[in-house]
Amino acid sequence: MSSKRISKELRDIERDPPTSCSAGPVGDDLYHWQASIMGPPDSPYAGGVFFLTIHFPTDYPFKPPKIAFTTKIYHPNINANGNICLDILKDQWSPALTLSKVLLSICSLLTDANPDDPLVPEIANIYKTDRPKYEATAREWTKKYAV
Amino acid sequence: MTITIHVKCAQDNWEVPIEATATIAELKKAIAGVSSVPEDAQRLIYSGKILKDPETIESYKIQDGHSIHMVKSGLHKKSAGSAAAPAAAGAPAATPAAPSMAAGQTGGFNPLNDLTSARYAGYLGMPSASTFGPDGGINSAPDQEELLHMMENPVVQSQMNEMLSNPQMIDFMIQSNPQLQALGPQAREMLQSPMFRQMLTNPDMIRQSMQFANMMNGGAPGGAAAAPGAAQGGFPAPGETTEEAAEHAAADANTSTNTNTNAAAANPFAALFNPAVNPFGAMGQGQNAGANANTPAFNPALWASMLGNAGAAPAPAAPDNRPPEERYETQLRQLNDMGFFEFDRNVAALRRSGGSVQGALDALLNGDV
Repeated sequence: MSSKRISKELRDIERDPPTSCSAGPVGDDLYHWQASIMGPPDSPYAGGVFFLTIHFPTDYPFKPPKIAFTTKIYHPNINANGNICLDILKDQWSPALTLSKVLLSICSLLTDANPDDPLVPEIANIYKTDRPKYEATAREWTKKYAV
Repeated sequence: MTITIHVKCAQDNWEVPIEATATIAELKKAIAGVSSVPEDAQRLIYSGKILKDPETIESYKIQDGHSIHMVKSGLHKKSAGSAAAPAAAGAPAATPAAPSMAAGQTGGFNPLNDLTSARYAGYLGMPSASTFGPDGGINSAPDQEELLHMMENPVVQSQMNEMLSNPQMIDFMIQSNPQLQALGPQAREMLQSPMFRQMLTNPDMIRQSMQFANMMNGGAPGGAAAAPGAAQGGFPAPGETTEEAAEHAAADANTSTNTNTNAAAANPFAALFNPAVNPFGAMGQGQNAGANANTPAFNPALWASMLGNAGAAPAPAAPDNRPPEERYETQLRQLNDMGFFEFDRNVAALRRSGGSVQGALDALLNGDV
């Protein structure tokens, strides 16, 4: 069941991937994928390419995929281990969601962070009080780790 | 077998026919042909992976009709000028934007124009809640810890260095500060000296200067323990009567002409005026020796405002001598609105809280005033 659904998602994503994301299995294991997200042009992450690792649970799509950044990124909702604080990856997951939609949500999270539900409170604080400083640091990290 | 690969790059989309056995390097060459993006500026991504030049298309299992992504790299490394050249070849419509932006920058130099740019974002301190303090910035000095912490950041230090080596920035600093203007050419010399730069970028020096500013304001010295002079400035020295100490402090506080070298020796700020230790020392001494006895040997406000300009925090507020009804006008009105009508108590409470209405309310309700 889960492998059939994952194969279908793979076919769709190979033919017509979202504009700024790309994903596919790492090797022959259909349950272990990697993805890359291109930093949205209207964000401080522009020009960077961020890699993520994806693990599908065996009861996918009834449980959400586990997604984490492998590229360092300066963002209030993404911590140093690459864990992402995003509702649809947790309690708001729905089997109707696909990996493309999740990756697009992560893209929009890069453009519009959610500092009111932060994973890294220090960054959220800077994001809220000193936006230019946050943007400068995010740009710097992007240049350093994602270009 | 020839396959067709869709190449996506932001809004653009190209179709590239190519042999499945071709290498990625050959694919990039083909893409360069249709997209005018040079091969070495291309990063190709498929299936979440960056494609490597020596590998073949087959090895990545890219098939007919599949899409790959391209990211242009090195774009932001180019200046606006060089970026305009490829744009002219590729998309003529995009070119008018570049000259007009360039034209906008040719006006008078003002780094504040660039507040939103990354270059200045780090140190020109945009207003932040903590910068303004609990009372919304009416009466508070900058958070010294924050400032020090920031100065210890090597990135900020290098930015400061870059800023201070920019003659335009120095012009701007002098222009924007009447006290520096009054100094004339000396100001430029001083700002450009490596010693001064070292002083502005060295956290230890700044810490020292902040303690100095603290003593000048008569406020609680932040790091009293660290500065032997602070104890002397704050408390009467052994053997000295309170009156004398007060006089001594008053003389220090207005910093007018410490021409007497004996006084300088006994002065808690002696270290600051010692030319061997501090670049300002030389300046102070030079002026003292000079004919103009009325020139302040050292003006804390000047130092503070320079620190404020450069150090991403507003200058420590100069002592406010306005009458309380003027100084606390808005806060008093707020307190009145809340039903506190006793002027004297309100003023006393505001004084205690440093102008914070919230703090004043606590004091009033607790009956502390």
